Parts: sequence; C-alpha cells; structure tokens
Amino acid sequence: MQPYYETEGMESVILSVLLLPLLSSVVTLLFLRKNGNVASLLSVATSGGILVFSLYIIFQTGDTVFAWEMTWLKLAGWELKFGFLIDGAARLLLFVVSFIGFLIHIFSLGYMHDDKAKPRYFGGLSIFMFSMLGITLADNLIMIFVFWELVGFSSYLLIAHYFSTDEAAQASKKAFIVNRVGDFGFLIGIVLTYWTFQTVNLQEIRNLVDFDPSLVTTTLCLALACGFIGKSAQFPLHVWLPDAMAGPTPVSALIHAATMVAAGIYLLFRIDFMFTVDALSLLATLGATMGLFAGFCALGQRDIKKILAYSTLSQLGYMSAAFGLGMPGIALFHLMTHAFFKALMFLGSGSVIHACHHEQDIFNYGGLRKKMPITALTFLTGVLAISGVNFLSGYFSKDAILLGAYNSNMIVFVLLYTGALLTSLYMFRLYFLTFEGDSRSKSAKDATESSVLMTGPLLVLAFLSVVGGYHTLFPDPIVGVLLDDISRVAAMPNHLWMVVLGTLAWIIGGGTSKLFYGRAFNGEPLEARFPTLYDLCKSKLFFDEIYGFYVSKIQDPFARFIEVMELLFISGLLVRGSAGVSALFALLAKACYAGKIHAYSFWFILGIISFVAYAIGFLGN
Amino acid sequence: MTPHYFLFLAFLLFGVGFLGVVIRRNLLIVLMSLELMLNGVNIALVTFSRVGLNLDGSLFVFFIMTVAAAEVAVGLALLVALYKKRQSIFSEDATLLRN
Repeated sequence: MQPYYETEGMESVILSVLLLPLLSSVVTLLFLRKNGNVASLLSVATSGGILVFSLYIIFQTGDTVFAWEMTWLKLAGWELKFGFLIDGAARLLLFVVSFIGFLIHIFSLGYMHDDKAKPRYFGGLSIFMFSMLGITLADNLIMIFVFWELVGFSSYLLIAHYFSTDEAAQASKKAFIVNRVGDFGFLIGIVLTYWTFQTVNLQEIRNLVDFDPSLVTTTLCLALACGFIGKSAQFPLHVWLPDAMAGPTPVSALIHAATMVAAGIYLLFRIDFMFTVDALSLLATLGATMGLFAGFCALGQRDIKKILAYSTLSQLGYMSAAFGLGMPGIALFHLMTHAFFKALMFLGSGSVIHACHHEQDIFNYGGLRKKMPITALTFLTGVLAISGVNFLSGYFSKDAILLGAYNSNMIVFVLLYTGALLTSLYMFRLYFLTFEGDSRSKSAKDATESSVLMTGPLLVLAFLSVVGGYHTLFPDPIVGVLLDDISRVAAMPNHLWMVVLGTLAWIIGGGTSKLFYGRAFNGEPLEARFPTLYDLCKSKLFFDEIYGFYVSKIQDPFARFIEVMELLFISGLLVRGSAGVSALFALLAKACYAGKIHAYSFWFILGIISFVAYAIGFLGN
Repeated sequence: MTPHYFLFLAFLLFGVGFLGVVIRRNLLIVLMSLELMLNGVNIALVTFSRVGLNLDGSLFVFFIMTVAAAEVAVGLALLVALYKKRQSIFSEDATLLRN
C-alpha cells in the first residue's frame, strides 16, 4: 500500500478544482446568456484554472494516496459520504481531462467563433468539466454514479447543441436513453455492492475484498460493468456513439472520444479488485469483438466523424480487452495515448469541417493537404499513431495489449489483430480520401487553413501523439500507476515476433488503402470491387434495425398491453370502480333528501319504529 | 275491562294523525294531525295506567297535554308568521332550503 498524503488543506484545493467549472457554468447560464464572447473567455479561463489546480494536486500528492471525506446526507443509521480519493489512476485521468479539456476549450474558441449560441455551448462544456472531474475524484460508488449521470446529462446538452436539426435532437435522445439502460445495471450493481459490503467506499471495499475474496460474485461485477458498457458504448449498447456525432466537433473530441467514454475504463480500473475471472474473460471477449466489429463498420462509413466514432468504439474495445486480460494498467495507458491521438484527429476533422463549411462526407473532400498543410500533417500524425506505426504513441500501448493477448488468449489476439489491420485500413482510407488526390467539391476547393486557435492545439496534440508512448518522459505522479503493468508486459516473451506482426499490420492496412484510394477513382472503390463486403460494413450488422424492430414490434405492443391493463384494472376497476360505488350510495342517499316535510316526517317516524322494533327484539337479536 | 279496544282506538288515532302529517299539504291540518297523534299516545298511556293500577301513565299524560298546548301555541304563531311572509301555508311553498 502506498503511503498516505498527510498535509492539511489539500481538500480545499480539490474542492476548488471541482467547483470552479460549476461556478463558471452557473455564471454563464445566469448572467452571460447574451454575451457569447465573455462567456467563452470565462470558460477557457476556467479550464486553464482547472489545469493549473490539477497540476498542483498531481505534483503535490506525488506518489502518495490522498483520501478525504465528509458526511453529505444522514438518514437514520445510514450515511452518504462525499469524498475524494486521489491515487495514481485519478492523477492520470485528472491530467488527461484537464489537459485535453484545456486544449479543446481553446480549439472551441476558433471552431465556434461564429456560432449564435456560444454561451449555451461553453456553459455546457463547463458543466461537463465539473461532472467529469467529479467522476475522477470521487471516492465512493454513489458519488461516482451521481457524476456519472451528470456527464450523461451534459453530453445530452452538448449533442443537442444544434437542436433545430432533427438529427441532433434524435441523437441526443438516443444517447441519453441508451445510457439509461446501462446505468440501470450500474445502479443495481451499486445496490448489490452495498448489500454485500455494507459500504460503497472504494477503499473500504478493497480492504474487505482483500480480507475475504469470496465476497465478490460474477453477477455483482457484471452489474457494475453495465455502467461501463453504457458509457463507453460497448456491445450491445454501442449504437448511441456514432449518432452522438451530431454535436459540435470539439464536443465529439472531448466527450465522445477522449474523456467521457474513457470514464468507463477508469471506472473498471477503480473497481478492478471486484472482478472475477469469468467476468474478466467475458469483458475481454466482448472488447475484442467490439474492436473488430467497429472496424468493419468504420470501413463502410462516409461521414468523417462517424468513421472516427467507430474507431473510438474499436479502441475502447481494445481497452476493455486489455482490462479483461488482467492488465488494467495497460488499459489506462491506452486510454491516455488514445486520448491524445483521438482528440487530435477529431480536432483535425473539426478543422476540416470548419474549413469546408460543415461538409462532412469524405467523398466531397480531397486534396486538402495543399490547402491545409498543418491540419493535414497533424492529422497524418494521428493516423500513424492509431495505426500503431513503430515508435509513435499508439504503437506502445496497442502492441502492449496485443502482446498480452498473444501470450494469454489466442482468440482475443486474433480478433484484436484483425481489428488492428482494419484500423490502419480505414484510417488511411480516411486520410487519403480527405487530404490526397483532387478536390471533389466546391467547398473543398475553397478551403483554407484554420486560425492559430485551432492549429495550436493540433500541434500540441500531435507532439503528444508522437512521444506520448514513452512513459518515462512523463513525470512519475502521472504515470506511476502504469509502471507495474508495463514492466509486466515488458517481461513477456515473443517481443520480436510482435514487433514484426504489428509493423506488418499497419503496412498491410496502409498499403491496401493506398491501393484502393491513393489514385483516381469513380465512386467508392471498395463498393465497386467487393459490393457484398461493403454493404455488410455499411449496414453496421443491422443493430439499429434490430433495436428499432424490438422497440416497435415487441416493446411498443407490450407497453400498449400494459396500458390497456392499466385502463381496465387500475384506472377502470380500482379508481373509477371505487368512486362509482360511493357515487351509487350517494345517489341513494340523495333520493331521501326530497326537500318535502312529508318525506322527512315519514322517514323520521319509520326510523323511530325501526329503532323501537330493534329495542324490543323484533329484528332477531 | 279489556284494554284492547282502547289500545286499538289509540293506534287508530295515531295512524290517522300519521297519515295526516305525511299526506296533507296544509300545514294547519298537519299541526292538527300532530295533535291527533299525541292524543292517541295519551289514550294508550291512560289505558296502561288503568291496567297497571298505578298513576305513572296518567301523570305523564298531564305533561304531554301541557307540552302539546305550548306546542300548538308556538306552531300557530309560526304559521301566522309564515303566512305573513309567504301568503301561503302550503308545505310545498316553503322551499327556501331546497336547491
């Protein structure tokens, strides 16, 4: 166990880093609704402040563990705590969130400069930063769950930024509802956890599990993993992420690529001691399948952001597989490098989309390298990094996952390796179609390089995508948590073989892509040569249709059936029924009130006679 | 002596009075019918007093007659007041509390 951090006052620093973005969003949404420029500057300044505070926290706590909590709610004997737990994983994610968040805020200044609803956008970004930092710092499951819902909410807000378009409105609803499904499982998992351990504090649970490992069950950890599956868009809840691309591009970069979806992996890391062998192997298989499946889907897409979204799904599958193979540190490592190069590529695509006046179809691009050299170059860096080109960041983290899989689970390895081939194939396809060849539309012909606000973050991220894999370059407080697993993987056999295979993967993928897309063509070359394969990729294996079918043909009729039952029994029999019975009595009683003195005297005397009859025993008593 | 005839007469008087109260619309007649019912009760009480050889019933009759006289006085006064106000002593015209 690492030593505890003991200095006074750290909790107030953490509280301020958490509350700063909340304050900023409240101020924005209350006072700056009309003043977009001030709101955006405030939000960027806030994220800069978060970065400074986070670095202070990271370096101040060093390699110790800081834990602090206070009572939030007290209900009879039950207490809900509000607390922070800063350990290695929290420091790493804190760095990723605050650093990439800061870059994306700056990029947003350029990307959104002519947007009408800037205050709403930047307010939403600040709420997101608040919720994401909450997940990062939280020390118990209920608090994580609260912030978990809050990130879902801010993601909903930001996807629906262009709410006047039907696509964005539908996508935001879809993202929210699909996430609810996963979160329901997560909630059940939390209840089960409390049931089993009588606490939701992560450290206390860890101690209890260390004491008695038989306490954890596969059901329990799979229920908790439902939260991960929903938020990280893993099979079978992956359908929301590609649609979420309807939001502004910087949002896709920040939320739907670099941080929020990665929060699922972070959650798994925080509770990894609760996972049983069965659950782990299930997660590994699911993740590897997702890595392969999303690759196929990406191959059939034409929208630049959807391709990147499927690639995110695929990379999240890699992380899940790494976690399932018992290398959570490597999963976090890949989370970090992926955050760099995926944020880079999303921001690059944002730069392209901005330059081409919100044209997103890659078949309408082409030849942009000469017009936007910085964007093209940085984007190429991202493509090379994600494809695992030797000695770039993706190479280290992805090959570590592949090597781990090769040495422990051959099926997972084959899936992941095929996924890696596909990754380089669709990534180079994207690159060639967008930046090489001739311009295929007017907007692509007129494109110009974006402003320095947008290219600046791209250059920083490109630099990190190149060197991000050398963990020794980072200071120890940030990457300390990875070292165990990295050295474990470094000690594994078959290294040379893996280098050869990994290199082959990106060369084959890139070469095939060059063959198809690197020269003049009409239409989609893949469709022309392999129409069946292309249709299959494009169909995304019909998941949307299956869910649509399920909802319209099974769930809706069931809901209608329940509605009829409700009308019949609850509102019909119970509510109207009881009201009807008393109304009947009321009618009878009302008939007695004739308003005639004769009638009253008649009832009066009849009453007396009955009373007397009862008193002298005529009524059988 | 047989008390049955007297009791039968008492029941008859009471019944006639009751029917008068229930059926007649003229409140003066209703008041008179009430007196008839009271007198029916009085006869029954006197009969029981004779049969039982004590004065309890007869004593009670005096009270009833006194109360009845007072009641008639109050009732007639009310009727006069009602007539002054409404120009009618028919029960169906006194419908202020209805509806």
